[in-house]
Amino acid sequence: MSVAELLPLPVVIPIGSAILAPLVTKIHRRLPLIIGIGAMLGSLALLLVVATRVYSGNGQVLTHYFSAEKPVRGQVLGIAFAADPFGLTFALLAAGLGLLLLVSLLSEFGDIGERELGGLACLSQLLLAALIASALTADTVNLFVWFQVAALSSYGLTGFFLERPIALEAAFKIVVLTTIGSFAVFIGAAMLYAKNGALNFGQLHNTLDGEVSRPAIVALALLVAGFATKSGIAPFHGWLPDAHTPVPGAISALFSGLMVNLGIVAIVRLALQVYGRHSGHAILGLITGLGVGSALLGALMALAQDDLKRLLAWDTVSQMGVLLVGFASATAEGVAGATFHLVNHGLFKALLFLGAGAIVHATGVTRLSEMGGLARLRPITTAAFTVGAMSIAGVPGFNGYASLQLIHEGLHHQPAILVLALVAQVITVAALARAAYLGFYRRRAEPYQHLEAQHAGMRLSLITLGTACVALGVPPYLVVHEVARPAASILLNPAAYASGVLAGSGAVPPIALPFAYGKPGDLILTAVEIALGLLLAAAYLRIREPRPISLLRRLHTGSVNDYAAFAATGLAICAFVLIG
Amino acid sequence: MILGNYLAAATVFCLGLFTVLCRRNLVKIVMGLSLMEASTYLLLVSMAYRRGATAPVLSSPPAGQSPEQLVHGNVADPVLQNFCLTAIVIGVALTAVFLTIAVRVAQHYRSVDSRDVKALKG
Repeated sequence: MSVAELLPLPVVIPIGSAILAPLVTKIHRRLPLIIGIGAMLGSLALLLVVATRVYSGNGQVLTHYFSAEKPVRGQVLGIAFAADPFGLTFALLAAGLGLLLLVSLLSEFGDIGERELGGLACLSQLLLAALIASALTADTVNLFVWFQVAALSSYGLTGFFLERPIALEAAFKIVVLTTIGSFAVFIGAAMLYAKNGALNFGQLHNTLDGEVSRPAIVALALLVAGFATKSGIAPFHGWLPDAHTPVPGAISALFSGLMVNLGIVAIVRLALQVYGRHSGHAILGLITGLGVGSALLGALMALAQDDLKRLLAWDTVSQMGVLLVGFASATAEGVAGATFHLVNHGLFKALLFLGAGAIVHATGVTRLSEMGGLARLRPITTAAFTVGAMSIAGVPGFNGYASLQLIHEGLHHQPAILVLALVAQVITVAALARAAYLGFYRRRAEPYQHLEAQHAGMRLSLITLGTACVALGVPPYLVVHEVARPAASILLNPAAYASGVLAGSGAVPPIALPFAYGKPGDLILTAVEIALGLLLAAAYLRIREPRPISLLRRLHTGSVNDYAAFAATGLAICAFVLIG
Repeated sequence: MILGNYLAAATVFCLGLFTVLCRRNLVKIVMGLSLMEASTYLLLVSMAYRRGATAPVLSSPPAGQSPEQLVHGNVADPVLQNFCLTAIVIGVALTAVFLTIAVRVAQHYRSVDSRDVKALKG
């Protein structure tokens, strides 16, 4: 059995255990999650076996054709799963982080009813399976199917904890917006097929060679808009902060750390690997624009939030924008940095959400204005939150520093974009510093009425993720050269990916990636950024909400009609920019 | 007339979108999304159309034609019709989820007006 034949298993195993979950819960309440943890371990182990081949040398592309439907003269008849360094990086992140999040779900919700526990285990594993599959698939409609699997399970998870009625409201918003996004993806994929007669990414890339026809451009606009809805890119982001607010910390971590990345991975694959250079600069310009907009809007809105988890969710909008900007730079540094940042974002955002969830669980307080004094009461959670905040802020020694540095280096040929990215970074630092101060480090006048004990599993997840953030931060030459560099290479060499997908395997061409950790210029820039961020946070704590931010907040009315209108406008903008 | 089909699909899609953007009743929003969904069925089947084509059924070809001739000749595109079936199945599941949430909202808030369901904002 060759390694490529293993590729479906990391997806099949979690789906199987998701189907088992509602059944085995009758035997023992916690069994579904325990089996789920075993399934994710198995999935992770298999992906690691695949990884030994995919990251070897300069990198490899391994392809598995379902039902042995091998391509005939470049025509792909069946569905193919292809493991390339980029997709596999996300699949590994999903399996590893999913494992930790299931552990924290088990420790936090081990005591709820058996039916609920079965449902929770089933939905979260379906979501994880869909994420792994979407990273591996090389087929537009198969990607749409995994998009839908992820979407349906996320609807279930958003509306799962009905004790807070806002869960229903959030569920309705996520369903409406994601459904609109899914129509866009579906019509886009079908149009592309009707025009170019192909579903497979490799075959599509070959048929798109030369002049790209207008229907194919419209299809690209629809696909980008649809996947941007899934990843919460402004102006498609209306559902994202709402969906993160009512759910428990581990589910928010699953959404923010992993699920939203599905859209980013899909957009990047389509823009760089399928359309490649054929679509010209319009698509990269569009993605950069969307990315900069989200980065700034998310950071500004995060700065103004009072609800801790909502603040983190807005920061996710901002970070997704940063990722898109990095990928759209289409330089080795930018793309490698964005790939690395995707992993880092998964780790630190999961850490922050688990920390926030632990605080909400312990105190029952969700608002920053009512928190405080937790540094003394909850040292581990405080340390974890601080590590997460410092990683986002890009403090040297933590994982965010190297990836942000690479992204910023990749933007050197676009100074205006670089400046906007740095501004967004300063505001992000301020938002996180404000949250850490208000929630953890300031004194609280009266003691908390009641503090719930913390479970061991929660502590384990916090410590593991915190350690991972620090471990990836010590000069990460190994990760950058062995993981991010091949990933950047396969994204920037779409022909190599196409031939790997069509031939069953292929080598990734080598690419030069100059990377020096902690150059003096970067260190000074980072220090200035962090100092400005801290000053901004201190200033923001003292003033009343400035008018522009109040306006932005009033624009987000909470009405599902308005959010759908934003998304429709965004779709129109995508089509206009690409066709125009 | 195939252009007529495209125009009809676009019109139905826009009607559905109009409902989602302008009607505050949650049930009407669900209906609007169903309209948008239905327009994709029409679009997919229309894109599969080829002038003078036969159905993509190869088991008992019309008199005087072999299955090989059919494959090389003029049949409607089965892949897009297949997508259409997939879309119908997904649409049913989605509508079920939608209506479940709408019923729950009605029970909790005693209202199906989207103006009453906006505690989360800003």
